[in-house]
Amino acid sequence: MIDLTPLEHVFDDERVTVLRRDQAEAVLARAGFAAQPVELVAVLPALRTLLGGLRRGQVVAVEGAGVLPLALLAGATAAGTWSAVVGLSEFGVLAAADLGADLGRVVLVDDPGDQWAEVVAVLLTAVELVLVQPPGQVGGQLARRLVALARRHGSALVCVGDWEGAQTRLRVASSLWVGAGQGDGHLRGRRVRVEAAGRGSGARPRSAWLWLPGPDGTVSGADLEALEAAG
Amino acid sequence: MSTGQGGRRVLVVWCPDWPVVAAMAEDGDTKPDAVTAPAAVLAANTVVACNEAARSEGVRRGMRRRDAQSRCPELRLIENNPDRDARAFEPVVVAVEELRPGVAPLRPGLLAVHAPGRFYGGEGSAGALIAEQLVRTGVWDCRIGIADDLFTAEQAARQAHPQDTVVVEAGGSAAFLRELPVSVIDDAEVAGLLRRLGLRTLGDFAQLDGGDVQARFGGYGAKIHRLARGEDDSRLGARTPPPDLECQIRFEPPLDTVEAISFSVRRTAERFVTQLAARGLVCTEVLIEAECDHEIASSRVWAHSRWFGAADLVDRVHWQLRGQLRSTSGGMGVSAPVELVRFVPDTVEPTAAHAAGLWGGGTDERVERAVARVQGMLGHQAVTVPAVQGGRSPGDRQAFVPWGERPVGLRPAELPWPGSLPPPAPARIYTEPRPVAVVDQRGRLVWVSERGVVSAPPARFRTSDDGGTGGTGGSRGSGGSRGWQPITAWAGPWPVEELWWENPASWVARFQIVGVDGRAWLMTCADDGWYIEAAYD
Repeated sequence: MIDLTPLEHVFDDERVTVLRRDQAEAVLARAGFAAQPVELVAVLPALRTLLGGLRRGQVVAVEGAGVLPLALLAGATAAGTWSAVVGLSEFGVLAAADLGADLGRVVLVDDPGDQWAEVVAVLLTAVELVLVQPPGQVGGQLARRLVALARRHGSALVCVGDWEGAQTRLRVASSLWVGAGQGDGHLRGRRVRVEAAGRGSGARPRSAWLWLPGPDGTVSGADLEALEAAG
Repeated sequence: MSTGQGGRRVLVVWCPDWPVVAAMAEDGDTKPDAVTAPAAVLAANTVVACNEAARSEGVRRGMRRRDAQSRCPELRLIENNPDRDARAFEPVVVAVEELRPGVAPLRPGLLAVHAPGRFYGGEGSAGALIAEQLVRTGVWDCRIGIADDLFTAEQAARQAHPQDTVVVEAGGSAAFLRELPVSVIDDAEVAGLLRRLGLRTLGDFAQLDGGDVQARFGGYGAKIHRLARGEDDSRLGARTPPPDLECQIRFEPPLDTVEAISFSVRRTAERFVTQLAARGLVCTEVLIEAECDHEIASSRVWAHSRWFGAADLVDRVHWQLRGQLRSTSGGMGVSAPVELVRFVPDTVEPTAAHAAGLWGGGTDERVERAVARVQGMLGHQAVTVPAVQGGRSPGDRQAFVPWGERPVGLRPAELPWPGSLPPPAPARIYTEPRPVAVVDQRGRLVWVSERGVVSAPPARFRTSDDGGTGGTGGSRGSGGSRGWQPITAWAGPWPVEELWWENPASWVARFQIVGVDGRAWLMTCADDGWYIEAAYD
């Protein structure tokens, strides 16, 4: 249940007839009920400090295939969103499932050949997140047409590789695998610093330390403070 | 009530060890000499059926796989598949139906029918005729029993020799059953109980007073008591031949383009769907056949994740014929103009089971439509749903199921797979392993002995094509001089004997290797060198 006691004085105060929206949201967020605005495609909780969510009609360019695009896919499908994966012939199914992806909501076109843009265009009209690895840099007319399509149908586009004019760019700035020694142990988790840079409202570059994936297989925050607090 | 059938006698056809016979038939081994090799069908590592050859080696039902193999090392093991048993039995039912309608299949391998009486020249020759018919369909070992009631007829069939008939004369059931051991009762619990009571034969049991049996064992015991007295009153639930739900359309003149065919089958597809709907059914698997020159030139079963609508059927016809028209050079294909297209329902389900799908829910309609468009562009197999399955190598642990088809033959992921790597799973799995060189501190190639001992700790690695390991966003170079990248940490080896790439069973060892740039790889040491199988990055 949501604890509404902090809100009660607002109701009691007769002078306040209209709840200030940000105030209400802050209370809800403290109660663990962060209202997910509908214009966002859900991301995993650990990525929210970095991204908030994937805005519909937005292009996110991720540098390098790997766990990060799979984590975005996991966040969206776990929230019940249909997603499509186009052109990732090396898609690690088990890794995506371990991150929490609902594979029953994934449409996979691993080898679209030179028709990848047409396939993306069709899928943007139907699913809310399209993860695409184009054969090269995407720019000019084609990029603008696909973005317009995404905006019209309210879907988000995640591009593995470079995309001219992408609103957000994500990259793994440093990465450290733990668990493996010199012939002993095995890989357990990876602590990475993910950097997000963007245009417009998201212009300020942000970065976050994350377990991607953590020793328990999930994505979680890995700030030094958080690690120290955990002991 | 000596004969509950109102004087109608019952004929039972029994095909012993049916699961084994069905599996052999499916593999094309119907010749009698194939039967002489010992074989057993297993479910959950326990023998559920075996043939005579295996029995003579000491293999028994209920035996564990290991025990069965220790008694008979050359035993051929077959996975249990009740669907296959039923499927293979269908031609047998049809073959008997041709001679005598009203066949009641009791279970795969056993069917009953009202005995034909005098029509085929007496019961014995009717049995011989049925046996002959079955041998013609490829079933060598069939045994026939004829009696007043079902239970006695089945016991008679079990007494018969292959392709032979045992006839129990009218009114002779009780006398026939008297000498049989109680173990013939198809309920091990009851049979064991009777044995403990000192009742060795059905005759002993039959002598008890019916009222006493009813009082002590209840209705179920009384029923078995009646069976033992030859007073089986169960009626044959004769099967009605399935209604003809298939639909076909003949083209005059024959059509030679896929577009024209797709356009022309639309009405037939609609008729097919409405005809099923009128019976409260939907089709989830359909067989589509196309004929040219009076021969079936194309035949394929399609499954649907929900159920087939008329438009779905037209799509399937389009895909099937387009794919085959393209591959005309390779033997079987649609080479001549198509003169007939037929829809045969393979699996139908009551509409009620799909109510959620009919009234929203299920797969999103929008997604279905978009996927159908992509399939139209790239072909049916191009759109898949990823799935997780069991296996050792990362590539084995995933599967891609074509959209709309049901995943079949996936290996269970719950079983322990010795030699498989602990989590996390690699994020990228190369469709083809890439060669790599891994050397120790002194520059010698690292190798692994048969016992899993590493020759020296790996120190550096270099891929033959540097762009490969960089992936698409690999702007960070591989670090060391001349493309060699130092190894900061490594784990392994995980040795395993398996089908490595295209070579037959060989021995490989897997390593997790972390480069100085902070990325981790899954590398494999095989007989002919090192490969990168997957990337954790």
